[in-house]
Amino acid sequence: MSKKGLAYFLILPALLALLFVHVIPMIWGIVISFLDLNVRNIINWQSAPFVKLQNYMLVFKPGTVIFTGFWRSVINITKFGLITIISGYFIGLGVALLLNKDFPGRTIMRGLILLPFVTPDTVAFSFWRFIFRSRIGILNDMLKSLGIIQDNIIWLVGDRSLYAVAIASIWKGWPLVALMLLAALQQIPQQLYDAAKIDGANAWQRFKYVTFPYLKPVTKTLIIFNILWNFNAFNQFRVMLSENPGRQADIPALFIMRQAFNHFKYGQGAALSIVLLLIMLVFTGIYFYVFRVKSDS
Amino acid sequence: MKKLITLLTILSLIIVGTVSAGAVTIEMQAMGNAPAQLHQAWMEEKAAEFKAETGITVEFNQISWGEEMQRIPLAITTGDGANAMQVGTTQNPFFAGTGGLLKIDMIDFGGEDAFMPANLKSTKLDGTSYGVPWFAETRVLFYNTEMFAEAGVENPPQTWEELVEVGEKIIETHGEGTAIAVAGTSAWDLIHNWAILLWSHGGEMLNADNTEALFNSEAGVAAMKYYVGLVDKGLASRACAEYNQPQVDAAFINGDVAMAVMGPWNIADIRDENPDLPYAVVEPPAGPAGRAAFSGGSNLVIRANASEEEVNAAKQWVQFLTKDEILIDYTKNLTNMLPATKSAFDDPYYETETMKVFKKALGYATAYPPLVEWAEIEQAIVRNFNNVLTDYVNGDYDENTAKKYLDQAAEQVNKILND
Repeated sequence: MSKKGLAYFLILPALLALLFVHVIPMIWGIVISFLDLNVRNIINWQSAPFVKLQNYMLVFKPGTVIFTGFWRSVINITKFGLITIISGYFIGLGVALLLNKDFPGRTIMRGLILLPFVTPDTVAFSFWRFIFRSRIGILNDMLKSLGIIQDNIIWLVGDRSLYAVAIASIWKGWPLVALMLLAALQQIPQQLYDAAKIDGANAWQRFKYVTFPYLKPVTKTLIIFNILWNFNAFNQFRVMLSENPGRQADIPALFIMRQAFNHFKYGQGAALSIVLLLIMLVFTGIYFYVFRVKSDS
Repeated sequence: MKKLITLLTILSLIIVGTVSAGAVTIEMQAMGNAPAQLHQAWMEEKAAEFKAETGITVEFNQISWGEEMQRIPLAITTGDGANAMQVGTTQNPFFAGTGGLLKIDMIDFGGEDAFMPANLKSTKLDGTSYGVPWFAETRVLFYNTEMFAEAGVENPPQTWEELVEVGEKIIETHGEGTAIAVAGTSAWDLIHNWAILLWSHGGEMLNADNTEALFNSEAGVAAMKYYVGLVDKGLASRACAEYNQPQVDAAFINGDVAMAVMGPWNIADIRDENPDLPYAVVEPPAGPAGRAAFSGGSNLVIRANASEEEVNAAKQWVQFLTKDEILIDYTKNLTNMLPATKSAFDDPYYETETMKVFKKALGYATAYPPLVEWAEIEQAIVRNFNNVLTDYVNGDYDENTAKKYLDQAAEQVNKILND
């Protein structure tokens, strides 16, 4: 077997798995999005009528429940993404810079910071739900004992609910950022800092001209991952706010799930998923474009 | 090596032996009608009895109510999964609409007259039955007798107005938010709580031919305002806005609140979690239009797309579960639900004080309209009910909020009904 042949042979199982797990369901999802597949024809799905773009039209027709609900959920998730990505990045960066210094116990600390990241989602977000519970949550207890609030605040309903979930998600997300940035920080040769010092660069200048350029590639990857993860956020909202988080904190994944699986409107659910996919593609496209221009200059 | 070959031979003989004996294995799926471990143990015991009788193996699988809408469709569309399943009475027509449930000839299960009418009605879609009534439930007012006594309340409230008066006395003694617990935005079944109020205020969900929403009537608005008022008056904790039903149940069972509208299955929870809780039950309080109660419960359905052997085995298992002695054991000793067969009620247990209250309430309980679209309708109402509670938490709730969202829900429901 030639070298190339062997390579193809070795990646074949992975390709097949990808085909069955990703490609075929995705194509099937696209097909469904053009069908009126619902409760009455789900058993004989082959006979579900072809409805052209009708499912997609609902997403763009103002005044319908789907239009209002879906776009509201997109706005919510964008807000949520901005808060969690930006805060998570800066917390992670701060911790990475600290851990890059030499101090006793550094190795243990590096291990410890991973704890939030390795805690399973359901466990971590159930805990956060408890923390934010109005009557028995420890957050309200703490705020009351510090004299900051008088009455219990309701965190998990209404305007505050999105922020409560964002705080939990930041807590869960920053360790990975810190770890990846730390790895990048350790690639930076010490000579560069020494040279910068000799040239009279202050701490901020050293960060700006030496440290940050080295962090750029990993930052780019981290942010793109985070955009995708956050747009697909599901677990934290489902666990902390239930299947129906209310209009201030409804998100696309839950909205689509309710539409497809609780109302049995699979066609509409598939169309919504594809619209979400396109939105994400646009976001990542814009991001890549902006980043490319900047790095070229 | 020799040993390994011998072992493999023995193993394969055992496997062949089991298969050739023609043993059918079916899966039974039910929700948490009783504390999980007890439920599992009961089912395993009965499955063993059933196996001794018929040679059929039954494997039991418990899911939560929240999973019902995902797990059952998955089983009936893929043809893989549970053969006999519990479905909520309000969902039976919906699942029947998929065409994946076995049509039931009631003659095989003792005839239509053998069952409680509300349950029987819920099995039907366009005149055909797609399930066998299993048990019924309704919700009544549980109250903590010790907290009542400490607050100097002698009798439990008979009307919703009295409930407020009693509640005010209780919070004077026990503090704000201790009178009652009510479900909030995390409750998928939020609508059941409000439905009782709606009917007792003289309202209806839909018109007689199920073509138009009527729940946004004055009665509906009054019912919604009453519900929010319980929190606003301080009778229920503001935290209730985020509760789901199990949190309501827990608040009562832990002795944190004096009243809660709960179901018969909670009797088992109290026995299990806080057996010393001093409590009693009373019929749901009456509104301006009299008393009303929610008619819920569960039916047993059989998945149609399975081998004939499995379908027949599942039918036998359902017949077994709905036999009087088995059903009485299940409802009386395990779940505290009410049996769905009339003859099971002859058991003296249903004459005890607590069960008499449930039985009486069930007598006038109302069921939701049996529609394929009901799940969607229910969601539209719950969504807007959530909006009312959210506005309340945000401080945006006023005189017109309830009406505004009920109208919005009605508009959405009318669209569902006429599409």
